[in-house]
Amino acid sequence: MIKSKNLYFKYEDNFVLKNINLYIEEGSFTAIIGANGSGKTTLAKHFNALLLPAKGDVLVDGINTKHDELNARKKVGFVFQNFEDQLIHSIVEEDIAFGLENLGLEKNEIIGIANKTLDKLKIIHLTKNNVNMLSQGQKQLVALAGVLAMKPKCIVFDEPTTMLDVRNKNNILDIINNLNKKDDMTIILVTNVLDDVKYAENVIVLKNGTIIFNGEKSRLNSKILKGAGLSD
Amino acid sequence: MIKALAFGQYRFKNSLVHKLDSRVKLLFVVILSILIFLINDGKRSLFFSLFILVVVLLSKIEFKNILNNLKPFYLMLVFIFLMYLIFSRNKLAQGFIAIWRFLMLIIMSFVLTYTTTISSLIAAVESLAKPLKFFRVKPRNAALMISIAIRFVPVMFINLSRAREAMASRLADFRKFRHIKLMIFSLLGRMLKSASALSDALHSRLYNENAENHKILRLSRYDYLSLLVFIVFVFVIY
Repeated sequence: MIKSKNLYFKYEDNFVLKNINLYIEEGSFTAIIGANGSGKTTLAKHFNALLLPAKGDVLVDGINTKHDELNARKKVGFVFQNFEDQLIHSIVEEDIAFGLENLGLEKNEIIGIANKTLDKLKIIHLTKNNVNMLSQGQKQLVALAGVLAMKPKCIVFDEPTTMLDVRNKNNILDIINNLNKKDDMTIILVTNVLDDVKYAENVIVLKNGTIIFNGEKSRLNSKILKGAGLSD
Repeated sequence: MIKALAFGQYRFKNSLVHKLDSRVKLLFVVILSILIFLINDGKRSLFFSLFILVVVLLSKIEFKNILNNLKPFYLMLVFIFLMYLIFSRNKLAQGFIAIWRFLMLIIMSFVLTYTTTISSLIAAVESLAKPLKFFRVKPRNAALMISIAIRFVPVMFINLSRAREAMASRLADFRKFRHIKLMIFSLLGRMLKSASALSDALHSRLYNENAENHKILRLSRYDYLSLLVFIVFVFVIY
């Protein structure tokens, strides 16, 4: 589904990603973990073509993000860490419709898909609500609905539990897991909270912009976590 | 305040004015706003006021709401009147006309926002701005700008409140210009960060300036009827 080959990325003169080679299989659940500043979000933004490699390539379903950003983005949705900034319109339904309009869908079709998505996430009662008046948990579900409605093959979640309480945190992790297990969606979860990785099958550990571990979660040990600055 | 900003003024009522197409209402308000500056005598202004009163009654707006909405402007109206009284006493009638115009403009905009959802207004702007395509202006960009402004004004107030609280907790004194400046810079920093994230979100959600708004706008018999009445009104008053 997603392949990166000798990926390098730099902000000004500092390389924040160095020689990243990875392959994320279709339908898999992969967690990218690492301490603050390790390059997790920078790497994740490459999958949605929000950032393009300084050197090397990122291929999304065979599409090189350098050559076709738009079609790469259609395949991979992105739920931002600060979902507040992701909501563009004031009314929930309008916000869900935004991405669908951009895809050029028929007007009659858009409301149907928006309602279906809101229903799937059990927030259909919020359809006409103003996003500014929603709770953090509700805002995140609306942000997810906006992405989900566009039917991407893969969704990247950037630190989805950071701003949530325990109940909302468990709810969003269960939803993410269901998207993977029931809907066969490829999931990439970016986090520095080890509890969030509970449903992931594969884990990529980053440290200072390089991969120090890439494999099944069962092979992850305390030495690796300590090396990545994720445990004492 | 944030609640008011976030919700806007729209209230659902089963009224004739609520039923009108948002494009028609927007067009009426624009034409009436121009027309009002062509009226200089008491007779025509009385006729115009009666027309607005009928529209208010048809909208099922409570007068209490209108008075509340006018509250923030009372001081300004008194100020205009005093200016005429002090500096142009011989043109006091013009002063009354100026105040009347101001009142009518506020009431008209209130009726528009009370009877029309923000999303319908945006769809109306997008639809009415379509001819601008010939001048290479994209209506969707204009509509998006309005929508983002409406969406982020409350966020700006929340950020301002957070910046103020963060500074106050560390004993900031907002009588000092230096502290006010710091608060404004802090707010600007937050807003620029939000703007950058918003730009990413627009890319991520495939923003397409040629895409069309999903709202289906159709003129009904009420719209045609109101257009007819409106044309007659404009003809009589002008």
